[in-house]
Amino acid sequence: MNQKKPPHGPFRLPNGMLFFLCIGLLGISIVSAVCVGSVKISAYDVFRIILYHVSGSHIRLGDLETLAGGTKFEIVWNVRLPRVILGAVVGSLLSLAGVVMQATVQNPLADPYILGISSGASLGATFSILIGADAVFTGLLAGTGTAFWAFLGSLGASALVFGIASLGGRLTSAKLVLAGCVVGSLCSSFTNMMIYLANDAEGMKSVTYWLLGSMASARWDKLFLPGVCTLAGLLFFLTQLRPLNTLLLGEEAAITLGVDLNVKRRLYMTITSLMTAMAVCTCGIVGFVGLMIPHIVRGFLGSDHRRLLPVAAIMGGVFLIWADVAARILAKNAEIPIGVVTSAIGAPIFVYMMLRKSYGFGGHD
Amino acid sequence: MKLEVQGVDVALSGREIIKSATLKVRSGELVGLIGPNGSGKTTLLKSIYRYLSPSGGVVLLDGTDIRSLSHKERARQMGVVSQFTQLSFDFTVEEMVLMGRAPHKGALSRDTAQDYAILEDALSRVDMLDYRKRSFLTLSGGEKQRILLARALAQQAEILILDEPTNHLDMKYQIQIMDVVQSLGIGVLAALHDLNLTLLYCTYVYVLKGGRIIAHGRPEEVITSDLIRHVYEVEGTVIRHPVTGKLQVLFSPGQAKRL
Repeated sequence: MNQKKPPHGPFRLPNGMLFFLCIGLLGISIVSAVCVGSVKISAYDVFRIILYHVSGSHIRLGDLETLAGGTKFEIVWNVRLPRVILGAVVGSLLSLAGVVMQATVQNPLADPYILGISSGASLGATFSILIGADAVFTGLLAGTGTAFWAFLGSLGASALVFGIASLGGRLTSAKLVLAGCVVGSLCSSFTNMMIYLANDAEGMKSVTYWLLGSMASARWDKLFLPGVCTLAGLLFFLTQLRPLNTLLLGEEAAITLGVDLNVKRRLYMTITSLMTAMAVCTCGIVGFVGLMIPHIVRGFLGSDHRRLLPVAAIMGGVFLIWADVAARILAKNAEIPIGVVTSAIGAPIFVYMMLRKSYGFGGHD
Repeated sequence: MKLEVQGVDVALSGREIIKSATLKVRSGELVGLIGPNGSGKTTLLKSIYRYLSPSGGVVLLDGTDIRSLSHKERARQMGVVSQFTQLSFDFTVEEMVLMGRAPHKGALSRDTAQDYAILEDALSRVDMLDYRKRSFLTLSGGEKQRILLARALAQQAEILILDEPTNHLDMKYQIQIMDVVQSLGIGVLAALHDLNLTLLYCTYVYVLKGGRIIAHGRPEEVITSDLIRHVYEVEGTVIRHPVTGKLQVLFSPGQAKRL
């Protein structure tokens, strides 16, 4: 036991400097992640192409041919940058959802996927890929895509979890987590049944591809909705930092400190469910981010959401950018699913965090 | 500020735990709530601070039904130290006590110099000022209890509800906590196990047995050998303290359940 260590690690920087550092790290990550890939592009080229377009064609470093046309421009601006930004957006969406969910259910092991959301999304996606909405529905629901069904599935699953957890009166965190497990296994069994019955090799491959997550489909027009969702979620939860802190103290303490537990808890769960559903339907299931990033940041900064929440949101983005870089370059001529990368990185880090025990995991005194 | 509990019934999963409890706490009073384990002390307190909702009766703060107040408004007027529960997340002592300021804060307001002054005052009252940067989870049970009291003090409420505030504390801190609570000059309702502390500090006492208030009055009038035998089922002798002149209870061994 290293009990002489200060409670929250060495990071006692003033808040302003801390946030500045994090934003800087995010910026550097975006530029360097765009540089990396099968075609190497220098950081300076990436920087000036991005600057030229972001500044609305006002800041021009070098000739226009590189900045607004040609292969480099095409790769930087239309292929890699949207993908990197999608990684940042989804990463912070998941990390933010994780922070809030852990506070809401007062369980440090909560994660955006634990409440049945991922299994609901998988069910929706599998249904869409293997059976197809067109085969079952006509009218409004016909011709809807995989993302739509994944979204529907995750929302349906979280509604079901809420319903089950509210049975028999008071909604408690233990009931929420248990209901999440129940709905999770229910959805998985339906998913497996569909895969078993479908006997469609091509479909099964795309199901797997979808379930393991990928950023490959990133395009500028696909970024808008998740981007707005992340910003709106972040802004909303920035107004909720005190109630979130109070929620960590337990149900009873939260009430005695003036938090309307039932209202806040439902509100937070609804919003995080929407955020997670948005992340899942954008790029499939990317595990561990929402569990791990809040944990790591909490290990450094402590549990105070005024520091934890904004930093975790940014670091989630940074983490997923680099996880996606790993997914792109680790295997020759192929992409590793990003869900595989995040789990492979996440599991050992998580074990390390668990052993270090720099803060409570709920089980020890 | 006056707290009134009128005819409150509480039922938990169909079983009636509290039956028509009525009590009153005025400003400056330290009111004790005593009774054996399972008599419903904690349940009654929980229904007063609205963790549980009574199935009947009403709780009034200065004549206003507590249900008509928002949780935040109520938390500004009523501070609570409940029995300690397991925490899954760690905070520093300072962060913990500052959370007592939450009911006074808007969505985006920051901690001001005034909040820090209140924090320091609350910590020095419970003799924990040197611990402000320590991690809460590394504290001993008694230290945690004092920090939770400091948090309730930082709430600056006019009514304080304490559920066995001297649990986990050794004599020095039992006396210290009760001294602090007594010196506040606000209305305090405390569930207590220790009859001697009740006799030393309380201005009024209510006795709970089987969910009913069976006696109330000034402690030296209420706490008698007969009552102790009836309520706690043990033999106790009430004598006057040779130094302080206060009444105290002495217990005889081997008498429980044979009465």
